[in-house]
Amino acid sequence: MRLRTRVVALCVGLLASHQAAAAELPQRWVSAGGAVSEWVSALGGEAKLVGVDTTSQHPESLKALPSIGYQRQLSAEGILSLRPQILVGTEEMGPPPVLSQIRNAGVQVELFSAQPDVAALQGNLQHLGQLLGAEDQASQALKVYQQQLDQQKVRITEAQLKQKAPGVLLLIGNAGGKPLIAGKDTAADWLLQRAGGHNLATHTGYKPFSNESLASLNPEVLVFADRALTGDAARAALFKENPILSSTRAAKDGRVLELDPTLLVGGLGPRLPEALKKLSDGFYPGATGQ
Amino acid sequence: MTTLVKPRTLFISLSLLCVLAIWLSLALGPVSLPLIDTLRAALRLIGLPIAPDGLEQAELILGQIRLPRTLLGLAVGGVLALSGVAMQGLFRNPLADPGLVGVSSGAALGAAIAIVGGSAFGGLPESFGPYLLSICAFLGGLGVTALVYRLGRRNGQTNVATMLLAGIALTALAGSAVGLFTYLADDATLRTLTFWNLGSLNGASYSRLWPLLLVTAGVALWLPRRAKALNALLLGESEAGHLGINVEGLKRELVFCTALGVGAAVAAAGMIGFVGLVVPHLVRLLAGPDHRVLLPASVLAGASLLLFADLVARLALAPAELPIGIVTAFIGAPFFLFLLIRRPA
Repeated sequence: MRLRTRVVALCVGLLASHQAAAAELPQRWVSAGGAVSEWVSALGGEAKLVGVDTTSQHPESLKALPSIGYQRQLSAEGILSLRPQILVGTEEMGPPPVLSQIRNAGVQVELFSAQPDVAALQGNLQHLGQLLGAEDQASQALKVYQQQLDQQKVRITEAQLKQKAPGVLLLIGNAGGKPLIAGKDTAADWLLQRAGGHNLATHTGYKPFSNESLASLNPEVLVFADRALTGDAARAALFKENPILSSTRAAKDGRVLELDPTLLVGGLGPRLPEALKKLSDGFYPGATGQ
Repeated sequence: MTTLVKPRTLFISLSLLCVLAIWLSLALGPVSLPLIDTLRAALRLIGLPIAPDGLEQAELILGQIRLPRTLLGLAVGGVLALSGVAMQGLFRNPLADPGLVGVSSGAALGAAIAIVGGSAFGGLPESFGPYLLSICAFLGGLGVTALVYRLGRRNGQTNVATMLLAGIALTALAGSAVGLFTYLADDATLRTLTFWNLGSLNGASYSRLWPLLLVTAGVALWLPRRAKALNALLLGESEAGHLGINVEGLKRELVFCTALGVGAAVAAAGMIGFVGLVVPHLVRLLAGPDHRVLLPASVLAGASLLLFADLVARLALAPAELPIGIVTAFIGAPFFLFLLIRRPA
């Protein structure tokens, strides 16, 4: 009898302490920053999200959540009205006075790195895993991610034995306007390199291009990262508008690729390895995937 | 000239409107607080001994978010409208707005330097960083205005027409410099710059508020003392001179007050258009051109307009927020047109 009560007491105690630990984890999340929101979802925390910012576009289901606006222009009261326990985002999140107002209201504010490198991602995933109570999933996800990136590297090295790295230009821009070309020190440049492309643009940042320089660069592959430029019709219209663009080798050979522009913001996201593979498949046709 | 309303009626109704705006600005927001909690928290903030049970959230939202925001709105709206009156009086032209003497474009240039070049000033002390944007905007506004004023002076006389043209030229120059910074900016800073140009009362905090409140109080107390001089100036510069007004001194004061007021407002809340141009007009349509009425009435009207605009800005898309510059013109312009059409011939 005594033993049984003890066992029961122990069980109750264990159960209670376990529940207490679970209760300490934040249950109502607001996420600002595309990649962070994606990782929260990937680690099984999507049900906990009660609001996201405008850069959180993936997975699609996040668009149904209340929007807290752009990550750099958050509103303290707006976010507090969602009664969150935690606000997560990258160091791009702001403005700082709003963040301190949110902190003062007793909401945990956690900043993650938006740096596109694996060390930053490792820190981010560990931290997120702890906050979500999904450490195992996080370390598993990191392992898989690392493997995918390693495979990507191998794939590129092998492909480059058979074929020279193609000269690439990456174009972003808004509908109808002149597209901008991604230069050095951009997330796009980083992506092109990892996919084994040789970025022909030598300027820094995203700049409008001059037709002459485009003609002289004569890229072998064009990559469009633009929501307005998806689909063949939109692309045909762009080529029609920019004859120089359509006279490039890439356009003549039909080597025109698409890239989801949301991959270019907020650090390494879970869809990145997949996108890299698709790009390098386009860069090295026939050389990869065998 | 006949007026639509007597000054007394105008002041009473504008004061009531302003009090209503303040109350709504404190009582409404994305977080819905029970009215009774708002009241009790407000009384506690004034210092009345009220039991704090269950009031933590209300007190925090009222004291740390809505009150500084409301004060910021009052000060920015008031000082922008006042500067509008000063400029329209100085140029004797109802189309004048504070931007004419270059204060807005100068502030925009200062802001662009701070936003785009901010990282280049790497060695700044930590505590200074958050205020860099405000300080640069303020100094930019003051600097360009001083230059415009200097260019308008010849032989100890300020030529208003020269000043106007110098203002236009320097605005264009500052605009192209801002364009250059826009070109150099990366994506993130570009968006910050764009949002700054649309203004916002978001994230108001007391530490940023005090300088603006001081400037606003100073300008709001000083300019009405020049109401009679401004009335005389309406007749023409030499006429005002013959009436015993120190016209040169008056011009200097008007330009200085505008630069100081608009510079401080822009530094605290970004660019907010429309208020400085249209609020004085609105009041003039209602109560006539007498500056003794126009100056204080514009303060009340500008402050109320900005608070109402801010209410829309924070409620329309909650939990996200609209930049207030969009809203001021969006509600102000149709209202202005309405008054214009209804005006007695």
